[in-house]
Amino acid sequence: MDNTASWAKKPSFAGKFSVISAIRWFQTLQGRRTVIGYIFIGPFILGVLFWVLIPALTAVWLVFQDWNLISPASYIGLKNITRLATDKLFWQSLKVTTIFTVASVPLGLLFSFILALLINTKVRGLAIFRTIYYLPSIMPAVANAVLWAWIFNTDFGLLNALLRSIGLPKVGWLQQPEWALPALIAMSLWGVGAAMIIFLAGLQGIPETFYEAAKIDGAGRWAQLRHITVPLMSPVIFFNLIIGVINSFQVFTAGYLITNGGPQNATLFYVLYLYRVGFRYLEMGYAATLSWILFFVIMILTFIIFKTLGRSVYYQEDV
Amino acid sequence: MEKRKLTRRDFLNLSAGVAAGSLLAACGAQPTPEKIVETVIVEKEGEKVVETVVVEKEVEKVVTATPGAEAPAAETVTITFTGWGGTEEDEGVKSAVKVFEEENPNIKVTWIQIPENYDDKVLAMTAAGTPPDTAFVNNGQFRTYARDGLLLDITDLLKGDPELGRVDYFIEPQEEARCTYQGRWYGIGSCWVAPHIYYNADIFEQEGIEPPSNDPEKAWDWSEFLEVAKQLTIDVNGNHPGDSGFDEDNIERWAIQWPTWSIPLHAVIASNGGYWINPDTGLVDIDKPEATEALQAVADLMLVHKVSPLNTAFSALGMSNTQMLENGKLAMAVDGSWALAWITKINAKLGTAALPKLKQPATDMQAHIHSAYAATKYPDQAWKWVRFLGTEFYQLVFLKMGLWLPSQTDLMTPEGMQKWYTERQGPGDGVHPAGYDQIVTQYVPKYGHVLYMPPGYAKADAVITPALDAIWIGEQTAEEAMTAAAPEANAILEAEQQKG
Repeated sequence: MDNTASWAKKPSFAGKFSVISAIRWFQTLQGRRTVIGYIFIGPFILGVLFWVLIPALTAVWLVFQDWNLISPASYIGLKNITRLATDKLFWQSLKVTTIFTVASVPLGLLFSFILALLINTKVRGLAIFRTIYYLPSIMPAVANAVLWAWIFNTDFGLLNALLRSIGLPKVGWLQQPEWALPALIAMSLWGVGAAMIIFLAGLQGIPETFYEAAKIDGAGRWAQLRHITVPLMSPVIFFNLIIGVINSFQVFTAGYLITNGGPQNATLFYVLYLYRVGFRYLEMGYAATLSWILFFVIMILTFIIFKTLGRSVYYQEDV
Repeated sequence: MEKRKLTRRDFLNLSAGVAAGSLLAACGAQPTPEKIVETVIVEKEGEKVVETVVVEKEVEKVVTATPGAEAPAAETVTITFTGWGGTEEDEGVKSAVKVFEEENPNIKVTWIQIPENYDDKVLAMTAAGTPPDTAFVNNGQFRTYARDGLLLDITDLLKGDPELGRVDYFIEPQEEARCTYQGRWYGIGSCWVAPHIYYNADIFEQEGIEPPSNDPEKAWDWSEFLEVAKQLTIDVNGNHPGDSGFDEDNIERWAIQWPTWSIPLHAVIASNGGYWINPDTGLVDIDKPEATEALQAVADLMLVHKVSPLNTAFSALGMSNTQMLENGKLAMAVDGSWALAWITKINAKLGTAALPKLKQPATDMQAHIHSAYAATKYPDQAWKWVRFLGTEFYQLVFLKMGLWLPSQTDLMTPEGMQKWYTERQGPGDGVHPAGYDQIVTQYVPKYGHVLYMPPGYAKADAVITPALDAIWIGEQTAEEAMTAAAPEANAILEAEQQKG
């Protein structure tokens, strides 16, 4: 506690000098602004340091360790990395997550874009519609999961009741391995409200004059959409695509709560497997390895998307 | 009133002052009173009710001199106790803490309830160097923790205890089987739970069918059970399975629901003379004919005989078996004895029974274990608390609710049962349906099998559960699925045994 004492024992001149100069500097406008600025971003810096940087670096160290959370960690070299090649569940979870991403991200983009277009029109009660479509995105993930588990229930679920009413047989949505992942993909569309809001903001940023000019040239609805809306919206679409891919690779709750990775590992999402390796099988070193693989997968995918689709994004030079 | 605007400089000075002030205050660290949620037992309308109150208490370690006594000043220590569970457990533990602290004025117990992801959180606490002093331990993890040196060896304390050390204190040999690892005790159970049948007696009466019995000696054999189950299952047109025109997609009432997770499955495997885990080898025996026949028998209830709804662990999120029993969608449900705490509230005549048998009457016996952690700084106090949880007061709280069955032989005698057993005459009255005493005193202690979960079982389960999934949808027979899965699971378990 008594830091001041030992500090004061230092050569007095240096001590006084630094304190006085610090005070003087603080009395200048720039000095005050700098200090206050750092105070304001301080919580963020500390947050990144403690909750991102240190854990990430610890995870790098853990890649080379065998640690069960209980006994001290021991160095095992590259074993955690070589193990990936023969780990069936690693490949299964990577496959499941990739299929999920490939299906749910484009579907989600399409769906949210159409919703945004619909909501961008001038109809009565627009605010109510916007709220309704956005509402599922702010519902807690657990509540969503429970709701959908009920909808997909084989014997009492809403979905099978609908199928039955049009004379189709019931489907074991969550029991049949071939249906469980499609069911969770359909469920993921429930959360398109967030992307929709971003699209809506983009749509409202397109100047009305473009459409007026197009109408004078005789462009119909479809031509307007194709030649004005979509090109001008491409940066927003691109943004939603990237965010969608990143989020989708980290999907967890649905697989954890509704299907628990089953049936037959059909919904064993990558992060769910990672979580099990860490906390169920008590292999933190291997879990850390999996987390770094996930990081690289996402990084490479983002890079590829930037290199390929990034070129076709239209950025307005000036307005 | 004069309104004065704060200048920015004033504001900053003021903030700095406040920050410095609070720092100074913090440096002067004094035992600060903390708010603690406590339970008290109060008399309300003639009934004892557990209530929670917030009280201010000093939780810092305080050396208290015992006035007037010549004994040296005893140190008051606080130990932590973690556990999962819902409202019932929360209230029960709080009332136990209250009684324990009165009996042991120098020990305070801080109860940390962790209802979700319990194992993960306790492991995280352990990894961070702050494990709990005492804790609920899941029986699936118990041997893993014991092997890894997480739990305190209490063998000598237990054997030397005049009360708990008595030969016939616990139901044996099951108690020893679940609490020991390589012959040493690492915890004490406070109860047993076991699956059995719950049925809606009104449906049996209406159909003119004799309901099953609580007496294990009179348990249905499997063919009798199937016969009755077919009679109880009806589609919307009133047809039974096997009738021509039976519409299996539009079933009005199912005879039974047999959940397909380890406990209810272990019961039927044990009934066929098989093992889930062989207690001698610590390896899975689910590919042996005794086990696969039993698993197939359960799958056939859904797939062949159509007397049970398609069933997987997650379908429980739809409608609960309690609701289905109440509204007549289900005639019988297999569930743990713990479910008595809520099933007993249904608005129908309720019955219970021993499970139908394949070769012999059997059920699974299970429960969490209370352990002290090896890292505790207060092993003596931790033992006292764990010991207290193994004595009568704590058990009675839950026995009365219907959540638990006793683990103490004293609570199974006619005199012992008077302390907690309440016969249910109708909805909203009492907890234990007529004849339930036979489940308590005959079925569970005599025919209950403990599922011995070896270290690292969770990892082997990653192979077994997907294999079981294939059985319930008829993609593979039990024999096919288990023959493929068992060697893989055993390779994992053998590797785990090497770690010991």
